[in-house]
Amino acid sequence: MSFSDIISLLRISLHAMVPLALTAVGEIVGETAGLFNIGLEGILLICAFAGALGAEAGGPYVGLLVGMGVGGVIALLFAVINTYWRGTQMVTGIGINLFAMGFVAFGLIKLGAPGFHMVPANVMVDGAEKAVQLAKLRTPWGMYSPIILVALILPFIVHWFLKRTRAGLMLKAAGEMPEAADVAGININRIRILAAIFGGVLAGLAGAYMSVAWLGLVTKGLSAGRGFIALACVVFSGLNPLLALLAAFIFGFFQALAEWVKTLPSKPIPGEFVSMLPYIVTLLVVSGAIGRVRFPKFLGVPYKRE
Amino acid sequence: MSDARTPTKNDFFLRAENITKVYSDGTVALKEASLEIHPHEIIGLLGENGAGKTTLTKILSGLLPPTRGRVISPKGVVRFSSPREALDFGIGMVHQHFALVGTFTAAENVALGFERPFSLLRLAKTIEDLKALMEESGLQIPLDVPVEKLAVGEQQRVEVLKVLSRDVDLLILDEPTSVLTPLEVDELFILLRRLRDAGKSIILITHKLKEVQDITDRIVVLRQGEMVGDVKTSDATTERLAQLMVGQAEGMDAVELSDSELPVRRVLKPVDRSKKSILHVEHLTARGNTGDIAVDDVSFDIHGGEIFGIAGVEGNGQTELVESLTGLRVPTAGTATINGINILGIDPRQIYKLGVAHIPEDRWELGLVLPFTLAENAILGVHRWKEFRGHFSVLKWGKINQHVRELMDRFEIRASGPSAPAKSLSGGNQQKLIVGRELAKDPAIIVAAQPTRGLDIGSAHYIRQTLVDMREKGRAILLVSADLDEVLAHADRVAIMYEGRFMDVCSPEDLDRKKVGMLMGGVTAAKETA
Amino acid sequence: MSIKETQQQSRLLRGVHRTLTGLHPALESLIAALVGLLVGAILMAVWGYDPWKAYIALLQGAYGGSYEWASSLTRATPLILTALTFSICLRAGMFNIGAEGQLFMGATAAICISFFALPPGLHHIVGLLFAAIAGAAWSLVPAALKIMRGVSEVISTIMFNWIAKWLALYLAIYVLVDPIRAEKTVSIPLSARFPLLVARTDLSYGIFVSVAFALVIYFLLWHTATGYELRAAGLNPAAARYGGIPNKRTMFLSFILGGIAAGLAGATIVMGLPPTYAIYGGGGLPQLVNMGFDGMAVAMVGRNHPLGIIIAAIFFGGLNAGGRVMQFYGSSPVPLEMVRVVMGAIVIAMSIPELIRVFPIVATGSRNLLRALRGNRKEESA
Repeated sequence: MSFSDIISLLRISLHAMVPLALTAVGEIVGETAGLFNIGLEGILLICAFAGALGAEAGGPYVGLLVGMGVGGVIALLFAVINTYWRGTQMVTGIGINLFAMGFVAFGLIKLGAPGFHMVPANVMVDGAEKAVQLAKLRTPWGMYSPIILVALILPFIVHWFLKRTRAGLMLKAAGEMPEAADVAGININRIRILAAIFGGVLAGLAGAYMSVAWLGLVTKGLSAGRGFIALACVVFSGLNPLLALLAAFIFGFFQALAEWVKTLPSKPIPGEFVSMLPYIVTLLVVSGAIGRVRFPKFLGVPYKRE
Repeated sequence: MSDARTPTKNDFFLRAENITKVYSDGTVALKEASLEIHPHEIIGLLGENGAGKTTLTKILSGLLPPTRGRVISPKGVVRFSSPREALDFGIGMVHQHFALVGTFTAAENVALGFERPFSLLRLAKTIEDLKALMEESGLQIPLDVPVEKLAVGEQQRVEVLKVLSRDVDLLILDEPTSVLTPLEVDELFILLRRLRDAGKSIILITHKLKEVQDITDRIVVLRQGEMVGDVKTSDATTERLAQLMVGQAEGMDAVELSDSELPVRRVLKPVDRSKKSILHVEHLTARGNTGDIAVDDVSFDIHGGEIFGIAGVEGNGQTELVESLTGLRVPTAGTATINGINILGIDPRQIYKLGVAHIPEDRWELGLVLPFTLAENAILGVHRWKEFRGHFSVLKWGKINQHVRELMDRFEIRASGPSAPAKSLSGGNQQKLIVGRELAKDPAIIVAAQPTRGLDIGSAHYIRQTLVDMREKGRAILLVSADLDEVLAHADRVAIMYEGRFMDVCSPEDLDRKKVGMLMGGVTAAKETA
Repeated sequence: MSIKETQQQSRLLRGVHRTLTGLHPALESLIAALVGLLVGAILMAVWGYDPWKAYIALLQGAYGGSYEWASSLTRATPLILTALTFSICLRAGMFNIGAEGQLFMGATAAICISFFALPPGLHHIVGLLFAAIAGAAWSLVPAALKIMRGVSEVISTIMFNWIAKWLALYLAIYVLVDPIRAEKTVSIPLSARFPLLVARTDLSYGIFVSVAFALVIYFLLWHTATGYELRAAGLNPAAARYGGIPNKRTMFLSFILGGIAAGLAGATIVMGLPPTYAIYGGGGLPQLVNMGFDGMAVAMVGRNHPLGIIIAAIFFGGLNAGGRVMQFYGSSPVPLEMVRVVMGAIVIAMSIPELIRVFPIVATGSRNLLRALRGNRKEESA
């Protein structure tokens, strides 16, 4: 394995880390407040699609914003159903995943190619070149997407926010003992909705990043379980954004490793087993991490004042 | 100059007028209840379980809206749509089940109440302010420990501090003394008197007749949602209050009244107890959920034909003791046998086979599966017994339903039928179902933990009578209760439990309330004379 | 209004609500289905299709004739079983999302019976057995992780789904591959294929396996002590412990039963689906994918009850079958992926309890109705 191979591996790892880190940090905020969103996978997928459409219409930043917006809206629906309407979070999440699978597959057919759509780097509009994908930055060690910086910095900001502001305290109270928070005057439903929207916006950014700033394509199965791996990151992190970032990097690394092994001329292991790696690693990490972490007591339970 | 000012017509802090509250399932919790609250006053809100006391105060403190009626202050009508608004107005409530976030420290719990979410959390300042408040009020608590690790009495103090830190004018306390030792109760009352003298209004919700006469200036009695009495404490007698609480004179028999001095009116007839003990416990030690020792070297015997009572404020190890004896907790040391057979660390089903019946202290968490029907709940624990189960573990529903109907008959359980969901029953009927189920096992020993907690007087009386009947039939009964009067009236022998140890085991005749109070507070005779 | 009237109105409204939703969970499922179809219609309209024509095509393709019915029932067959996987575990308080992977393993194991000969009947049974054991085995590890180490079964079962997919692909392409046609595995031999129930359709005797299993589960859960313990453990683990129920063993059992169900689902597909009776390695196991997730939708609409699941499976099977027809119908046909969109919307609608309350029109309507009724009664008594 040469030096450039290692750099290449790290580069892919960082890129693969981004959707996991963003989604996980967003979900941490949601779970701290008491909402468990298993529909992240679906949000990732839909926002990848929406982001691609947005980018093709108005450029990379529009694409990212559209992704974030769609993610926020879906999360808003999820949150309203599971706060004011006292729904079951697990079921809503599964519904979102199903819906997203069908919607994106359907949309891809409408765009022309069933199951697959390339997002061009640029389009020619009136003779001038207009960017569609978010350009990667050129460095001595390869091309890197600027969103990586966002993914690296955001966990620190969120961590500070949870620990050092009153809002962070209120979020924790809403998840741990909503009755206490209610009596203290906090509007439980409103705070959970805001937390969920934040999570949705980040997951939307993650999805749009995949199509607009990293892979440059949208497929039916683009999310490939990343939403669930992000959930695993959350479990590993014990609701600490910094640990989630670490977990995201680890999983990203194994995804990169799987990709890299596939490119080797002589395959020591069949490609299928390599593809299993990220998921096996996730399992191992999650199995090892449990027992150390403690989750909000009222996670997943709708709050009723009586 | 008396401490309680005579209220004049305009001199009130808040007035609730004709408050009616009907819950969404149709129950009428309050029926045109009115109450006037003045400064410099401690009001006792008296009533039995379900009378509407908590509902009224929840409306006053902004947690619930009234269905009809209004609340007015000298400045006009007030309407609170959230507890925060009530707090801003000056009304704070200390709940029976503390509204504290367990993983937060006391300081963080207090800080929770303040506005401006995006501001920095300045815990240092909060701690400073709290220290000053603690000085002023005389309450002492550690400020940097997660609240869930504090003792119950300390947790309550955190609640009180929380409310005081918002500078309230009306302080409502919901059954505050049920979790305190008599010494802690005295400390609380000193604080309340000090607050009253400073001009605050205090509402104390309680169902304890003695207590309400000790501390209040005025007593208001609720019965089934209606205001039935509003008297000056100095004018009230225990009998009159009891009558107001329960209704007609016939209710008087059901209420075990205790004199201020001994002896408590005894209910038990003399019965021969069996020669050999049925339950034998030696040096039992067990840890609680936090890892600390909860049961500390406990030894006792129970014979057939006797009721052995364990008195004490909840949280002193009674729960863990009962769990150890019924297969729900594995103790760390000691032995316990029933007729010589070990019952420690074995499966509950095996323990039931040995002739043990367990009426659990939490009927919703442990005793019943609420979404199940009556029939399904009636076989909980005995669902594998031969009369209910055939080959290949097939359940004989015909037999089971018949059994349930018999239980409903014998124990006067009011429900629409064996297939009614258990959650549709009232608390009293649910408890009767549990008692019926347990007694149907024809047990040799009955473990009853807080069996009448939260029940209406009628059901409570019925259950106590059932236990007394079982005693006369020669069964052994372990009665654990935080209701001191209940234990003293119904036990042959009483053990006072404090911090996991039996402070003393004796006959109720040898106890007076003062001595019991001290034992419950951990003060032994030796300490007293020191 | 006096107190009594307030009370009465509350009670009546409550009764109306309860009648409409609680006592009739089927109605709630029906409403959710209608909401889902409505959402689908809106989306179709937005994207330029004619929802009416599409739904008529769907309906005809699902239940229009005996061939269509057979198609729907064929698709319902595995859905019943994967729905049961989810439901049995949910009744025990667990979320088993792993039907997908357990089904893959079951199908793969069933293919293995092609390598030895047995008389028909016995061969069928062995095939089912292999599939059941494979499915159960695949659910064991997540179960163990949850019960011994508290690992979220949601995450572990999902991870196992992906691992199963890759493992099944590998086995289908390299190990069980048909020597003559490399894109598929060896076919199930004639002695182990389920005979067709209706000639010239896809419907095989596999449907009896599904329905029979559902009935067995029904009987188990409500008429045996073991099933009683399972349900109790799921509803209130503390009370179950008090009742002497071995919670851990019960949870294990639920996972095993769930795994068996999903494995059997895989078997009904490979042993029952003409013309090839094999797994296609290319394109990511097309006949097998999404059975697991669709099964969850079926479970929820069927209220996690075996009998409801059978009905819901026929409905969802109809959606799938009708979708196939819908995509060829008319001048601008709707791609069948729309069916999954509708399914997702239905499940989201199902997650809202008492969906009725969400529609204020119905609430005010019922209130007005009550007022009118009471008005009449007052006049009568006057």
